[in-house]
Amino acid sequence: MHRVWKHILIITPLFVFVALTGLLIFYPVPEPPVGEMAAARVAISNASKKNAGIYSENLFMEAKSSYDSAMSCWGRENKKSRYSRNYGKVSEFASIAAKKALEASNDAENNTANLNLTIREKINELKKTDEDLNQRFSKYPMSTEMRNNISKGEIILAEAEIEWGKGEYFQAQKKLTEVEKLLVPTYEYADANLRSYFRSYPLWKRWADSTIAESRTNQDYSIIVDKFSRKVYVYFNGELQLAYSAELGKNWVGDKRVRGDKATPEGMYEITKKYDGDSTSYYKALQINYPNDEDTALFEAAREKGSLPRSAMIGGMIQIHGNGGKGADWTAGCIAVTNREMDTLFKITRIGTPVTIVGSLRDLRHALKR
Amino acid sequence: MKNKILLGLAAIAMVAVLASCGKKPQAEIDATSAAIAAAQTAEANVYLPGEFAALQDSMNAVNAKIAEVDGKLFKNYKTVVADLAKVKTDAETVTANVAVKKDEVKKEAEGLLNNIKAVVAENAKLLPKLPRGKEGAAVIEQIKGDLNAVDATVAEAQSLFDKGTYMDALNKIKAATDKANSLNAEIKEVLTKARIRF
Repeated sequence: MHRVWKHILIITPLFVFVALTGLLIFYPVPEPPVGEMAAARVAISNASKKNAGIYSENLFMEAKSSYDSAMSCWGRENKKSRYSRNYGKVSEFASIAAKKALEASNDAENNTANLNLTIREKINELKKTDEDLNQRFSKYPMSTEMRNNISKGEIILAEAEIEWGKGEYFQAQKKLTEVEKLLVPTYEYADANLRSYFRSYPLWKRWADSTIAESRTNQDYSIIVDKFSRKVYVYFNGELQLAYSAELGKNWVGDKRVRGDKATPEGMYEITKKYDGDSTSYYKALQINYPNDEDTALFEAAREKGSLPRSAMIGGMIQIHGNGGKGADWTAGCIAVTNREMDTLFKITRIGTPVTIVGSLRDLRHALKR
Repeated sequence: MKNKILLGLAAIAMVAVLASCGKKPQAEIDATSAAIAAAQTAEANVYLPGEFAALQDSMNAVNAKIAEVDGKLFKNYKTVVADLAKVKTDAETVTANVAVKKDEVKKEAEGLLNNIKAVVAENAKLLPKLPRGKEGAAVIEQIKGDLNAVDATVAEAQSLFDKGTYMDALNKIKAATDKANSLNAEIKEVLTKARIRF
């Protein structure tokens, strides 16, 4: 009897222990959301490949932060007893991470597509501005700073295009903002000045028509200088006979106001003197009667009004002369043609031949199309 | 009977040993993380962004696997250790590849920088030959402005190159090269037109 009890006393706790151990091992415990975590990782990785970290930064950061929270929760749950673990929060964070990553992915895709397009358009727009500056305003008087801005803007524009080509849209955008600040004000300045300049077009047209009519009436030669086109036109009997390229003063836009302003005057003049040989440094020259009475009156009025200083002096010695063909506006206000062309002009003109200088023979619309 | 009791106790001890035999491979984790950090320091994220992102993805997957094993009763980190070793090797490969890629970009930037410097030097040499006097003043002034812009860009590129930011330097040099070449052509055209030998 004693022996039986002894067995019972030993076997029972052992049995209980083994049973409990078995229960501990085989009792169902909550499983971590491995699949959901993997799905979240894939979604984040896909978003990253679409550069969501750059082009949908907030959503992407939310996705990453949710994933990190899921990992932290998982770690915390692992530290608990196996039977008291709850992966609900882990699952929740993983699901949020996957959702946000997907949203970030789509958002980044849309943003990059939009940026790609917008930046391409902006590059084209600024290239057009640069092209216009170089074509319409290449010979337009501008300050050194403005010319430097154009040069700098062109280089940064090329940099922006390289960044755009590499898909670095924010970098490209940053550079385009710089380019815009350099090119656009210069363009606007030149454009506004040109538009203001062309307000005198009806007057120029009247002068030109009158000069051509005079040539027809007198059956003689007349000269019209078109400053914008840089052309010297020769009419005979009202018909256009010759057209030469001309070079003007550096500040050719606008009327001449004062001595030394390097501007070419506008008005109806006539040849008053002819120089050749040693009497001129410019091969041959035809001097016109600038300033005429009207120019003098305008100059005096400007001085009276104070728009010109009292010490200002009126210009003079405006000529059509040789030594041209340099491809730049270099004179002090005269009109330069090549020596060969000067020979012809010298031969066909006489003292009294009308010389009309206009801003442009064509209207602003044509000037802008140039 | 005594033997049976001993057998039972041995089984319990085995369970206890098995349950605690797998230790977290902290040394391997640290080594792999360090390898990834080294890849980042080598600017893998700049020069090989795709490869670097793949490394980070792999490390995230390994971390999840570690968490999964951490939660098990019988911990076995064998596959984790193997995965960590693979990620570490990959990170070291990426670091080596970055050095190669960086060297390629450096050489390209260096070559282009030398080319553009040669053009800039030639332009500077030709500039005084441009027709002087009031006739050429306007042209010279404009060309000088353009040359200054190119010079400034080359100086910026050189500074980026010296700092080791070769990719940014390369972009700047590429952007300035066209301008420098077109200026060179323009100067030569003016000199040819003015019949000046260069």
